[in-house]
Amino acid sequence: MPLLPTAARLVALAVLLLVAAIAAPEAAARDSIRVGMIPDAGSTQVSVEEKAPLRDYLAKAMGQSVELIIPTNYNATVEALGNETLDFAYLGGLTYIKAHQLYGVVPIVQRDADREFHALFIVRSGLPIQSLQDLKGRTFAFGDINSTSGHLMPFEALRRAGIDADKDLKYRYTGSHPATAKAVETGAIDAGAIDESVYQAMQKDGKLDGAKVRVFFTTPPFVDYVWVGRMQVDAAVRAKFGEAFLALQPGRDDRILAILRGNKFVRATDDEYDTLRRVATDLKLF
Amino acid sequence: MLAGFFPPDLSLSYLAALTVPLMQTISMAAGGMLIACLIGLPLAMFVGAQVRGARLAYGLLSGLRAIPDLTLAILCVVVVGIGPAAGMLALAIFYAAMIGKVFADLFLAADWRPIEALRSVGATRLMVAFYGLLPMTLTNLVSMGCYSFECAVRAAVIVGAVGGGGLGAELVGTINAFDYGRATTLIILLVIVVSALDSLSWLLRRHPRAVLLLIPLGLAALWANWPETLALRHAATTIGGMFPPALPLPALQALPRLLLETAFIAGAGTLLAAVLAVPLGLLAARNLVPAPVAMATRMLLEVLRAVPEVIWGLVLVTLVGVGPIAGVVALGLHSVGVLGKLYAEACENVRRAPVQALEATGARRLAVACYAILPLASAPVAIHTLFRLEWNLRAASVVGMIGAGGIGQALYNAQQLFFYDQMMAYVLITWAIVLLADALSDWTRRRLGWATVIA
Repeated sequence: MPLLPTAARLVALAVLLLVAAIAAPEAAARDSIRVGMIPDAGSTQVSVEEKAPLRDYLAKAMGQSVELIIPTNYNATVEALGNETLDFAYLGGLTYIKAHQLYGVVPIVQRDADREFHALFIVRSGLPIQSLQDLKGRTFAFGDINSTSGHLMPFEALRRAGIDADKDLKYRYTGSHPATAKAVETGAIDAGAIDESVYQAMQKDGKLDGAKVRVFFTTPPFVDYVWVGRMQVDAAVRAKFGEAFLALQPGRDDRILAILRGNKFVRATDDEYDTLRRVATDLKLF
Repeated sequence: MLAGFFPPDLSLSYLAALTVPLMQTISMAAGGMLIACLIGLPLAMFVGAQVRGARLAYGLLSGLRAIPDLTLAILCVVVVGIGPAAGMLALAIFYAAMIGKVFADLFLAADWRPIEALRSVGATRLMVAFYGLLPMTLTNLVSMGCYSFECAVRAAVIVGAVGGGGLGAELVGTINAFDYGRATTLIILLVIVVSALDSLSWLLRRHPRAVLLLIPLGLAALWANWPETLALRHAATTIGGMFPPALPLPALQALPRLLLETAFIAGAGTLLAAVLAVPLGLLAARNLVPAPVAMATRMLLEVLRAVPEVIWGLVLVTLVGVGPIAGVVALGLHSVGVLGKLYAEACENVRRAPVQALEATGARRLAVACYAILPLASAPVAIHTLFRLEWNLRAASVVGMIGAGGIGQALYNAQQLFFYDQMMAYVLITWAIVLLADALSDWTRRRLGWATVIA
């Protein structure tokens, strides 16, 4: 039986190579910075390419190569900070408080608009929906389950208006804000809750037909998106990352500001998020 | 809305951009299978040699196999982080259990006479395993191994959908971005890859030794997908957070409804498939219809089968909205592909004599099909349908995760919200139910005296 000794030798070789494979990456130190973003338009090859100018800008500012990664969903982005796949990330308010509690991530910068952010309730034009009460019995779209402006705060607004989403609405999670807008525009779903900056950007870029969708309710302001760094990343590197955003100027950096859907960046702190923590705890999402 | 899926985006730049996800998917399957073989084969030999502890090992393999692949993928994504490493690990565990169990069954069913002969010359049980069991069952092993690899590639797409990277992740992304033209491109790509694998496994069955050529491919895949940072402490704390598994009271109260919903998806999906598969199976049977019709029907069935339930589910959730109906249709479409082919084969394999007797009376083709072929084929058709029902219960818990409702959706939502103790509770409940269904279907088959079919 000549096959068996050969097979045995191959198995031995395989084990050796396996050991080598385990050992090798440990030795190779990583020299690029990894930046993650929660998926605002689905995590695809195309959407990573669209953000290439941001990646190049950060690489230049940091003096290091930067990898831009868009994980499949919000949860995965937070876990990637936990297992050290990512060094920096763009998180929503709810994902930030979770990442801070679980892994102690540090808030760095945010858009000035993020301090007074709003969620919009949108509906297909022509439907007789004027208030939150009119949503009873309708199909409704939330974004990602971990989204602040696509789930948490709209859920809270509904609760305050006396609507129990679990009983009064037929809702689904679309996974992202543009998906919610599109679902309402095409008529797949009657109404939905969406991030105001995504909604405006989609209309401006012609990705959403303004005649087919209308806003019928705007939530009170709350704190939302923030760029964070892993606690273990050197404080000087974190500071440099923040400076890169603070230095962005309308007129000069319009391409990058358009990708970030903002005009001006400011420093972010953890205590801004106390109210959000209370709401999230009340709704049993935290 | 369906029109949005056409035309597919076949631009060169997009196809080029897809090479990375495609390589990730294939390498996830290859690397996962290599680990699976390295773990599964020795375990199977251990069981096959019937040394002490073999029963325990067999029980362990059966238990592990009852965890759906997508559930494993979610667990791995939590522990290893997103990307092909998590997908590869999930596939490695799932297929180690599958290969271990199926190979062990093959070893246990091997001819006992040569083994007795080896024993009588004083060979130890381990030597019997190496020099008796392994060479005796080699052809079957390769055949099953090929089949598993094909399944693994399909599964590699599926695990991508929950964060495993590759084509699955890209597909979820395009669908979430309402980029349906590109979603169609991805589905076409998947069908091509699966049929290419079909030809590969046909080749390997003819030349079993060529399997050894897959080892370097597997090693290269392992190398490429190995997690860069093994965050062991992160993994340990995360797993720690899953215990003790717990569900709050409202979740416990919702549990019966969730389980019914999952059972409904499985039952209705199988029924839908069985009803559609009867006419399609007849149209695909080469002894009943002209060859071009049979060919065309078979191709349609092949396409339906090549696309996994989860992928159909992703498409349907956008078309008919979230909820059990999307799950039912998703399971139905994939199962029609599987059952239609099996039904057609059952019709082709019926005894000729009764059919000829009916034909001799001048009966028309339709009458022959209804009164001779279908009744004769009813036993295998029933067996295949029961197997599908069992399989679909597992699949129903899986399509739930992409929005079809039931216990799968509850599991996915708990995972997404970082409530890992609740997630673990749902994992254990799903696991117990699948084990129960497996046992029940085993018992039914034995009661009815039906032969056990592997896989």
